[in-house]
Amino acid sequence: MSAPAVLKILEKNVKEDAGLIAILEDIQANYGYLPKEALEIVAEKTGYPLLDIFGVATFYKSFSLKPRGEHLISVCLGTACHVRSAPVVVEEFERQLGIKVGETTPDNEFSLETAACLGACALGPIVVVDGRYFSNVDTSEVKRIIKKARTGLDKVTVKADQRIFPVEVSCSKCNHSLMDSSHLIDGYPSIKVTMSFSDLHGWLALSSLYGSYNVSSEYEIPGEMIVNIFCPHCHAELLGAADCADCSAPMIPMIVRGGGVVQICSRKGCKGHMLDLNGVNL
Amino acid sequence: MADFEKILFKNIDFPDQDKIDIYIKNGGYNALRKALDSMSPESVTEEVIKSGLRGRGGAGFPTGRKWTFLPKDSKRPVYLTVNADESEPGTFKDRELIEKDPHLVIEGTLLAAYAIKCGQAYIYIRGEFAFGARQLNKAIEEARAKGFLGKNILGKGVDIEIIVHRGGGAYICGEETALLTSLEGNQGYPRVKPPFPAISGLYSAPTIINNVETLSNIPYIINKGAEKFSAFGTAKSPGTKIFCLSGHINKPGNYELPMGIPLRELLYEYGGGIKDGRNLKAVIPGGSSVPLLTADKVDVRMDFESLAEAGTMLGSAGVIVIDETVCMVRAAYNLARFYQHESCGQCTPCRQGTYWILAILERIERGRGSLKDLDKLLEICENIEGNTICPLGDAATPSVKSTIHHFRDEYEYHITEQKCKVSMGPRFE
Repeated sequence: MSAPAVLKILEKNVKEDAGLIAILEDIQANYGYLPKEALEIVAEKTGYPLLDIFGVATFYKSFSLKPRGEHLISVCLGTACHVRSAPVVVEEFERQLGIKVGETTPDNEFSLETAACLGACALGPIVVVDGRYFSNVDTSEVKRIIKKARTGLDKVTVKADQRIFPVEVSCSKCNHSLMDSSHLIDGYPSIKVTMSFSDLHGWLALSSLYGSYNVSSEYEIPGEMIVNIFCPHCHAELLGAADCADCSAPMIPMIVRGGGVVQICSRKGCKGHMLDLNGVNL
Repeated sequence: MADFEKILFKNIDFPDQDKIDIYIKNGGYNALRKALDSMSPESVTEEVIKSGLRGRGGAGFPTGRKWTFLPKDSKRPVYLTVNADESEPGTFKDRELIEKDPHLVIEGTLLAAYAIKCGQAYIYIRGEFAFGARQLNKAIEEARAKGFLGKNILGKGVDIEIIVHRGGGAYICGEETALLTSLEGNQGYPRVKPPFPAISGLYSAPTIINNVETLSNIPYIINKGAEKFSAFGTAKSPGTKIFCLSGHINKPGNYELPMGIPLRELLYEYGGGIKDGRNLKAVIPGGSSVPLLTADKVDVRMDFESLAEAGTMLGSAGVIVIDETVCMVRAAYNLARFYQHESCGQCTPCRQGTYWILAILERIERGRGSLKDLDKLLEICENIEGNTICPLGDAATPSVKSTIHHFRDEYEYHITEQKCKVSMGPRFE
C-alpha cells in the first residue's frame, strides 16, 4: 500500500463530489481489499470518523478488510439455484479447493464465497468467477471451472469427445465378457455390471456405444452420486488408479476387445470418459 | 394464449436495440418528444394516473398517485431515484431490461423526471450488475449527444441529468429508504416513515423512488395513451408484467404477459411444464419474500388482487417452481440464512428474530429439533411482523410460516425420524 496512491484516489473523488462508498470502491479496486492504513488516510483527509468508515466497509458485501485471492469464486444460493442443487456445488468447491466458504486458499489463488441471488435465476445453478458467469453448473463441472480460472477465462474450450461407436468390453480383473445381449440399449447389447451406493446393491446396464450416456439400473441413482461398480462374474470391484479429469470422481476401467482400455466416470451424470486403444489416447 | 401487445419486451431481442440509432428507429424517444412538445408535467402525471399503472417493485402502489404526494411549492430540489437494486431471490427482470434495452429505461426515467419537475435523477444499480451499469452509462452518453438529456433538452428549456450509482452489495438497499441512505454514502439503514420520501427523502429533499420496470412502461403510456395501456390486464392491475420463471421448469426465463394470466398457463404453456416430467410441489409466486402456493392452487390468476385473495402476493413476480424432490425444511433453512445475513441489525425483532429462526431451523435440519420448535418458530415470526422499521422483517417470515403451514409433516418427519422425507442429496453437516 502506498500513501500517494490513496491520496490520488481521494483527490479524484473529491473533484467528482463522490461519496464515501465511491472512494472505498476505488481503493478496493486498486488493492483487491481495503487496507487499514488506507482507511486511516481516508479518515484523516475527508473528516469522516474512522468508525463510520469501518461501518460502511463492513456493511456492504463487496468490501473486504482481508486480502482476497487472485480469483473470486461466487456460488449462488438463491432459492432457484438452491432447488437445483447449488448446495452440492458449494460443497464440491470446498472439497476441491480445500477451504470453506469465506476463506482464501493459502497460496492466495482462490477465494470462495456464496451469494444470495445473482439475478440470473433462469440459468441456475450459477457460479461467477471473476465476473464471468457459468450457468447450469453441476458438481462434475467444478474441476473444469477451477482449471479455467487458473489458466485464464478467455481461452477457448476444447469440445468434448462427440464420436459415437460401439465397443465390446470385459472385466479388467477376470477378463470375463461384460456384454449382455439379452438387454439392449441404443439397439446394441449393453454392458452389464453390478453397482452399489448407499445401502442399495443391484444391476446396472450401460450403453456400449462410446459417446452415448444411456443407462438403466435396478435402483434409480440420485443425481451426481458416485457409485461403486463390481464385476458380476468375479465380484471384484472395478476401480482404476485415475480420477475423472472433469469431476475427480474415481474412473472405472474396462478392457476393450481387440486391445485397449476404456474408462468411465463413476459419478452419475458426469460425462467424463477415456478410451485408450493400445496406447493411443482417443 | 393471451391476446395482448408487448409493452416492455417489444424490441428486447431486436439486434443492437441497446444502440440509440436502432432504439430511435424502433420508435424510441417519440414519447419524450411528444411530452416536451405538447404536454405539461401535470398532464404527464395525469395520464399515468389514468393508466392505473402500479409499482412493479413489489408493493404495487399506484405510480401516478405517488408522484402527486410531492409538496407543490417546495424550495428544495426534487429528486427522482430509480431503484435498480434488483436483489430479491428469483427476480431477474430489471436486469434484462437494463442490459438489452437501456434507452427504454432512460426514456422512462426522463419522462418521470419531467412529470415531477426533477432536474437530477439517480439510478441506483446493484453492484453485481457491472455490465448493466456500463450499458446505462453508454446509453446516457448517447442520449446526451442527441440532445435528449442534459441541459435544454430538445431545445425546450428542460434540464435533466441522470447519474448511475453502483451499490455495494446489500439486499437491504433495495428498500427505498435504505437505498437513499446508501446513496448518500452511508450504511444502508432504512429510515422511519413518516416522513415519507416524497416529503423528505434524498438529502432531506422531496424524492420519488420508482422501480425500473415501472418506469419502462411510461413511454408506452405517453405514446399510445392511458386507455390503450389499461386495456391489458385486469381492472385493478392494468397492463402487462414481466414474470421471471425459474426453478424446476423446462423453459425458465422472463415472460412478458398481461396481468391476471392464470398461473397454470404461465407454467405449462409458456414455461413448458415441470422439469423432467416430475410433479409440482409448490410455487413461490413473487420472489422469496412471499408465502408459497401449493400445487393445488395452480389455477390462481397472477395479479395483485387474485394473489392477495389466495393468501400470497405478486411481489416482484419472481416465480420459483419447486418440484417433489425438494425438501421444504432445507429450502426454508436456506432462505432463513439469507434473511439473517441481510438483516441490517437496526431493529431488535428482525436482528434477533432472524437469528433465532435460523438457529432453530438449523437444529431441525440436523435432526436435533423438538416438536415444540414448530410453534416457537411461528411465535417468533409473529413477534417480528409489523414490529420493524422496514419490510425486511416481514419478508423473512412468510417462507417459514407457509412451509410450516403447508408441509408440517415434513418438519415433523425431520424431528422424529432425523432425516429428510424427500432427499436432496447430502445434508449440511
